[in-house]
Amino acid sequence: MEKSFISGRIWVLLDQNKRLIEDIDTDQIYHNAFLHITEVSQMGQYALGNLEGWKDFSKKASPGDVLIAGRNFGAGSSRQHAVGCFISLKIGLIIAPSFGAIYFRNAVNSGFPVLRCQELDELVAKKALETGDEIKVNFRSGEGLNVSRNTHFKAEPMSAVQYDIYEAGGLFNYGKRISKG
Amino acid sequence: MGKTFSEKILGLKAQKDVQAGEVVTVSPDYILSHDNSAAIIKEFRKLGVKDVMSPQKLVIILDHIVPAASEKYALNHKTIREFVSGQKIQNFFDIPSGICHQVFSENGFALPGKLILGADSHTTSYGAFGAFAAGIGRSEVATLWATDEIWLRVPETIKIEIKGELPSGVYAKDVILKIIGEEGADRANYKAVEFTGEAVKKFSLASRLVLANMAAEMGAKNGYFEPDEETLLWLKGRAKDKFKVISSDPDARYEAVLDYNISSLEPQVACPHTVDNVKPVSKAEGKEFHQAVIGTCTNGRFEDLEIAARILKGKKVHPKVRVLIIPASRQEYLLALKKGILEILVEAGCVILNPGCGPCLGAHQGILAPGEVALSTANRNFRGRMGSREAQIYLASPATVAASSLEGKITDPRKFL
Repeated sequence: MEKSFISGRIWVLLDQNKRLIEDIDTDQIYHNAFLHITEVSQMGQYALGNLEGWKDFSKKASPGDVLIAGRNFGAGSSRQHAVGCFISLKIGLIIAPSFGAIYFRNAVNSGFPVLRCQELDELVAKKALETGDEIKVNFRSGEGLNVSRNTHFKAEPMSAVQYDIYEAGGLFNYGKRISKG
Repeated sequence: MGKTFSEKILGLKAQKDVQAGEVVTVSPDYILSHDNSAAIIKEFRKLGVKDVMSPQKLVIILDHIVPAASEKYALNHKTIREFVSGQKIQNFFDIPSGICHQVFSENGFALPGKLILGADSHTTSYGAFGAFAAGIGRSEVATLWATDEIWLRVPETIKIEIKGELPSGVYAKDVILKIIGEEGADRANYKAVEFTGEAVKKFSLASRLVLANMAAEMGAKNGYFEPDEETLLWLKGRAKDKFKVISSDPDARYEAVLDYNISSLEPQVACPHTVDNVKPVSKAEGKEFHQAVIGTCTNGRFEDLEIAARILKGKKVHPKVRVLIIPASRQEYLLALKKGILEILVEAGCVILNPGCGPCLGAHQGILAPGEVALSTANRNFRGRMGSREAQIYLASPATVAASSLEGKITDPRKFL
């Protein structure tokens, strides 16, 4: 199966002023009250459950959807629940200008696609990306197409290690592949 | 061109010459996990590997919800204890021990030149001792248990030179809050931060831990202090292993060099709901609050409790404020007990809780109701972090929290010293 691109409907995480929400920390993505849960399949219901205006996200999202967020998405705790909850909902990709360092690693190592895109704020401001749009993104080139509007955008492509782990389906399988040489 | 500490240690571990930006495969010296070991065990089982490859490298410390606050947490703890005994993991610290970062340090695992990875974002703390220490996630730890290897991207380094001298009533916590407020919560994302300069050389190890701990709140991959005589003295009799000091070359390449002079620094307060929303105490003064917390992996050590006791001695905390004291570890607890610090705090009306993370991450022992305000020595004030998302959290030094507890509102501690 070709895994190097994804198509999906987007959710643009906007605040009341129609700006991309920045610094969405791990407590807003996945509240600490549910940290005792260890099964990924049960985490989805709590995704963004503590983010103002987005508490019902888990009920609205469909498999394959793409999340568009502001700068420093996933700042804070190392809790992997904050990645697991999106895997649980079968979200296809998260795009943000930047991510919390541990969050980014957690996503990469879970084989969950995350991409950085510096021009995201600008694209959202000029309404080149709006909730409900259908987009298609190539992970290896970073090239994005807004299918609904027939406009293009550019994200940073996945690094080699990120793509290899994603393709292997997670860190452990990637490690096994490396050690078999 | 010389190399930074991070380039040197990761090069040494990868057995090749490396530069910032490269990806290396390395094997850590120690792998830390806490209550989340239960989730890691589940993940580990899925890998289809029977035994941990290097059980001597694992350090497991129960601290997040100790003793267990509910049946679910109790079951997680039980799972961990059974795994520890089945896998013959020697370095296991059960619920009496304290907060993982303090316990890990005082038991001599945090050593110069060691590579330490931990399933907790504040693993950066061990940079206070000159280790490369970084927080990682659950899947990564499970894979490390199975394979003893992981990839790391060699980080670029930001050097922070801290000059001058701490004024009276101003502490390491105020310094790091000031830096985070100026630089922002994502300034150091994916990067290493070296703390250097004449001022930090005079800091106790406990104070250096405050800076390295909160480097995580700038997004840093790791924090670093060059080990000195003070470090070596502290490690004497504690070090669990031989170690070698690794330092940055004088001509190392830095992404940025930031200068701070702390000689005229005021006490600082991080206001809701981000750690970089920092104001001098004069701009936050008068804010009433309901619960004070002195503790956590940031500020729960003997030196912190002693400062609080100095301010609270012979006085009573404000009747509308609940003051929770949580020594960072059993060792720090015992020391504070023997020195009469806890007696002073109890007489002032404080509640002494058992060593652990306490209410910092909102799981138990002092959850906030909607509309309540907390003033805490912790490292995070995210919305909902300590319970209700309608609550507010302010962060400050132990001195500011203690002084404010007397007044029932945020107060400059300098008038009590």
